Amino acid sequence: MRPISLKLVYFTLLLAFICHLLPWAGFGLMLRPDFVLLVALYWMLRAPHLCNIGTAWLAGLAIDLASGGLFGQYALAYAFTAFVAVSYQRRLALFNIWQQAGYVFLLLLLTQLTLLVLKLFAGYEAPGWHYFLPSVSGVLLWQLAVFSRLSSNHPKHQS
Amino acid sequence: MPRAMEHQHPQAFFVRGPSAFARLLLFAALSIALMAADSRLHYLIEIRQGFVALLQPLQMIANLPTVLYGNVREQMVSRQTLLEDNRRLSLEALQQNAQLQRLRALQEENDHLRSLLGAAQSISQPAKLGEITHTGRDPFTHKVVVNLGSQQGIIAGQAVVDGAGVIGQVTRVYPFSSEVTLITDKDLAIPVQAERNSLRAIAFGHGRDNTIDLPYLPANVDIREGDVLVTSGIDGIYPMGLAVAKVTRIERTPDSPFAHIVCKPAAGIENHRQVLLIAASSAATPTGAVISSNTKPSEAARHATHKP
Repeated sequence: MRPISLKLVYFTLLLAFICHLLPWAGFGLMLRPDFVLLVALYWMLRAPHLCNIGTAWLAGLAIDLASGGLFGQYALAYAFTAFVAVSYQRRLALFNIWQQAGYVFLLLLLTQLTLLVLKLFAGYEAPGWHYFLPSVSGVLLWQLAVFSRLSSNHPKHQS
Repeated sequence: MPRAMEHQHPQAFFVRGPSAFARLLLFAALSIALMAADSRLHYLIEIRQGFVALLQPLQMIANLPTVLYGNVREQMVSRQTLLEDNRRLSLEALQQNAQLQRLRALQEENDHLRSLLGAAQSISQPAKLGEITHTGRDPFTHKVVVNLGSQQGIIAGQAVVDGAGVIGQVTRVYPFSSEVTLITDKDLAIPVQAERNSLRAIAFGHGRDNTIDLPYLPANVDIREGDVLVTSGIDGIYPMGLAVAKVTRIERTPDSPFAHIVCKPAAGIENHRQVLLIAASSAATPTGAVISSNTKPSEAARHATHKP
């Protein structure tokens, strides 16, 4: 396992951000996994000394800028998820692949629930069940990355 | 010393700096402060504009695949299709030219009659052709981003139309792009008029299923299915007579004093790339209904509509 540099963390986050900026529309937008959060979670679970709550918060701010919604909502949701992820990070070594996937799925759901609460406070209408589809596609992408052995000794590169 | 206690604890072995909970508190407080500053105090507009301009190169990189795909597809168009298109378009141009000549004659006549009446001349409003670069990132809202910004003279509050009707209104302007709120968005209101009987109303976006509502109309209102709604022009933002929507369903329930009217937008909100951004004409805005960029679109429209 080669040492992970801070540059690598930020580079992968940037790539994930570009994936987020791709012109998604219609059904793709509904299904679009949260690339940036997935990459941030990966680094938080693997190298919490390089990617921590602050990094997640900054990533959330970038998403906020790109989405043009209420400023700070993604930042708050990401910071909260990062807190949960980092607090249970040491326990993750005992998990097998599927348990990890379940854990990641719960974290993604947590983010979306936080966002939902914030958006409802901001006066949006309650969305349908398809609102939670990105969590499902996100965990599928995670498993895909795990099975393609990207994460065993190479840093994961999601696109 | 509390640090010494922590060092005995295996959990805290790799922790550096403040604890996770302290960090969470710090960043949560920061984000809540940001949200408050954005939603209540409107302090962040300039800052956001600056950062969005910084994001522009990234955005261009992200848009590259679709641009390339479009170019390749254009190259692949067969000669036959091009010929057919050409024939069809020249035919259309011929027909439209004939109609246009009639229109010009009518307009001259109209101007003449208006000047006889002493009424204000209807001023043709300049429009800019923009292209939708991408749809909004937030599935909750109905927004698109257009490739014209404040550098091209776009200001917040301009009306956006396509060939078939009104699409929406510019709500946020960045240096090289601007954000258009579609008429199906929950926050956008637009003053309309039924074409058949000139009944005035305000249409609100429904927020889901790409429909528009006409709320606050009494149950016995004279509106039928199939009625065409056009802009009434009394807000000074939208020029008069642009198609907005067609009434598709009316529900009158005995327990409600209001009719539930659902309309379908006339403009191809989901399928066009080119749109026209119409400048709010100064002649049509007697008390300066130029909207500052931090007003919500609905507020702006309401404000404009409730003017005497």
